[in-house]
Amino acid sequence: MEYEIEEKSAPGRSKVEVLGATYEKGKPKGEELGKWRQKLRDREEKLKYLQTGERYWYGQDWYGSEKRRNPA
Amino acid sequence: MAEAETKSVDNASIKMIEKATSDGVNTAFDRAETRKPCPIGVDGSCCSNCGMGPCRVPPPKGKEETPEEKQRRRGICGATAETIAARNFIRMVAGGAAAHSDHGRGVAEIFLAVAKGEAPGYEIKDEQKLLQLALDWGVEIGDRSNQEIAIDIGEIALAEFGKQEGEVLFLRRAPLKRQELWRREGAAPRGIDREVVEIMHRTHIGVDQDYRNLLRQGVRCAIADGWGGSMIATELQDILFGTPAPVLGRVNLGVLSRDEVNLIIHGHDPLLSEMIVVAAQDPEMVALAKSKGASGINIAGMCCTANEILMRHGIPLAGNFLQQELALVTGAVETMVVDIQCIMQSLPDIAQCYHTKIITTSPKAKIPGAIHIQFDEHNAMESAKAIVKAAIENFPNRGNNINIPKQQTDLIAGFSHETINYLLGGLFRASYRPLNDNIINGRIRGVAGVVGCNNPRVRHDDIHTTMIRELIKNDVLVIQTGCSAMAAAKAGLMTPEAASKYAGEGLASVCQAVGIPPVLHLGSCVDNSRILIAATAMVKDGGLGDDISELPVAGAAPEWMSEKAISIGQYFVGSGVFTVFGVNWPTLGNEEVTKFLFQDFEAIYGGMWAFEPDPIKAAHLMIGHIDKKRKALGIDKARERILYDMAMRRELEAA
Repeated sequence: MEYEIEEKSAPGRSKVEVLGATYEKGKPKGEELGKWRQKLRDREEKLKYLQTGERYWYGQDWYGSEKRRNPA
Repeated sequence: MAEAETKSVDNASIKMIEKATSDGVNTAFDRAETRKPCPIGVDGSCCSNCGMGPCRVPPPKGKEETPEEKQRRRGICGATAETIAARNFIRMVAGGAAAHSDHGRGVAEIFLAVAKGEAPGYEIKDEQKLLQLALDWGVEIGDRSNQEIAIDIGEIALAEFGKQEGEVLFLRRAPLKRQELWRREGAAPRGIDREVVEIMHRTHIGVDQDYRNLLRQGVRCAIADGWGGSMIATELQDILFGTPAPVLGRVNLGVLSRDEVNLIIHGHDPLLSEMIVVAAQDPEMVALAKSKGASGINIAGMCCTANEILMRHGIPLAGNFLQQELALVTGAVETMVVDIQCIMQSLPDIAQCYHTKIITTSPKAKIPGAIHIQFDEHNAMESAKAIVKAAIENFPNRGNNINIPKQQTDLIAGFSHETINYLLGGLFRASYRPLNDNIINGRIRGVAGVVGCNNPRVRHDDIHTTMIRELIKNDVLVIQTGCSAMAAAKAGLMTPEAASKYAGEGLASVCQAVGIPPVLHLGSCVDNSRILIAATAMVKDGGLGDDISELPVAGAAPEWMSEKAISIGQYFVGSGVFTVFGVNWPTLGNEEVTKFLFQDFEAIYGGMWAFEPDPIKAAHLMIGHIDKKRKALGIDKARERILYDMAMRRELEAA
């Protein structure tokens, strides 16, 4: 895959080079390609993911913006 | 502009409207021409709730009304115009909440049967979502099997519908501040059915005659839908069929095949469609199709059933609500199988002009002229095979009057809350942080939920797509469900490439970095509950206030027509979201009721309704609201970024 460099204007500087959009051409094939939940193999990993990935509801030590006013 | 072009913006639909005319077929587009809306009913000024009426109480036209005249403008029972408008409005909420929630109940019943091993063919596909609900509802996990956990979850889910006291359990998922507000304002639903029934009671003659009190019950009932029945439907469907993940699909009538048996699944309930998808892949069925001269079996979806099977399997979408009749006009549909909701009674009549068989499957939704094959969820595969077989055997009856439009568009669907969270943060630190950060830094101005139906009173798909283009051009990320999502998909707004074509520079840069379209497909109409969860995740991640009402977000249903849309809009308003509807507004005949919904609600619930039929003006109402919220959060102006060194940090701490 070739990286594309784009030139853009930036505040305080005239022009900067930034990495452009990079993607594989073509269309994804097969129903399974986008499926990511199967990466979690067993119940332990799934529960762990709920505590971290869905920590807004299931985390035990971090509750986002609501922690400050409503400590657990 | 040709006449058909005034009716739809979609070229495939325009072609089929023209073909319908030449075939002598009467469609909803024709009926909308000849059957004008009742000018009194459309404004909510007619009461038919008892045998003394119907009583029509419209405001006088072209003259100021004296207080005495207004006093006399009542129904025979004495109900004022305000009471009548409020009654009519919340009966719409009750109708919509009942439809979504009865769908949820049906899913819960099958879920429990699957858990008990009484529904062969279905299985628990998403263990993680099962565990998630177990955590939500305090079900013991330990070393118990999925079946044991699922039995407890199924029983709790079913009990939610008939619960008499306490609160609907999913309210606990909402931001804490929102939960407190609901409790303070008496808006926390006790049980799902109870709130629907209470509306029917309160709106009976001679019961609740304070329009404010009636409208407040409408909010409680709608919340029982969004955070109750609909959310139960979404979550249990995810457990049974899988939580949606990104998937490539195609949309529009061009997905129909000239050489294959075309079977369209139309309605809302994935219990049926999931099994038909499996049955159509059965080698025995494929062989039967070939023996009848077809090259295979082509399954396509219509309406929200389409969204369900697209999100999970990438099955193509034939079209949205106003394309159901047009699909038959192609002359290439062997069978349209329907379950519940948004199914036009005209389908069997149109089918007679071609060779199509209309098959009803639900005991709750029969249509004269259709074939009824009852879908038995406890023997689902057998029922599904009978339906697929009926379609195959109809293939040789296909006539010569076939015209399948070539239009079909690619889209990426499958953006459940879980997938958005994963895409933004990755497997090890899934997060809404990148979204919130980009809203705070202004690349993304805000988020808009654009949802709802089609309505032949306005140009099909035009209002949706015009509004959405205006929103993304102004850096507003759009999230969608239902028939509205299909309109955007047909217009090519749901591919990653759409970001650089249509979105503002800031939104496009974020979409390109993450690899997502500027318009995200979140599913069917019960899946509006996913939008509630996404909004809650934005709140909980921090930096954008402590409640949904503080977020720079807005909602819209610009081509709405169903009572479900009113219920959806009401639960978004009741959750703190500014929500704009188009087409018409069912309380416009009454100033007080309309003011209460459009203005006074904001002080109570943080969200309020608006009505604006012009899609550009409506988009700017939403953008204006988003900007108002950005200002309140102090993120309306670009700020110079300062990198703090240790000395500056110490100074800050000392201060």
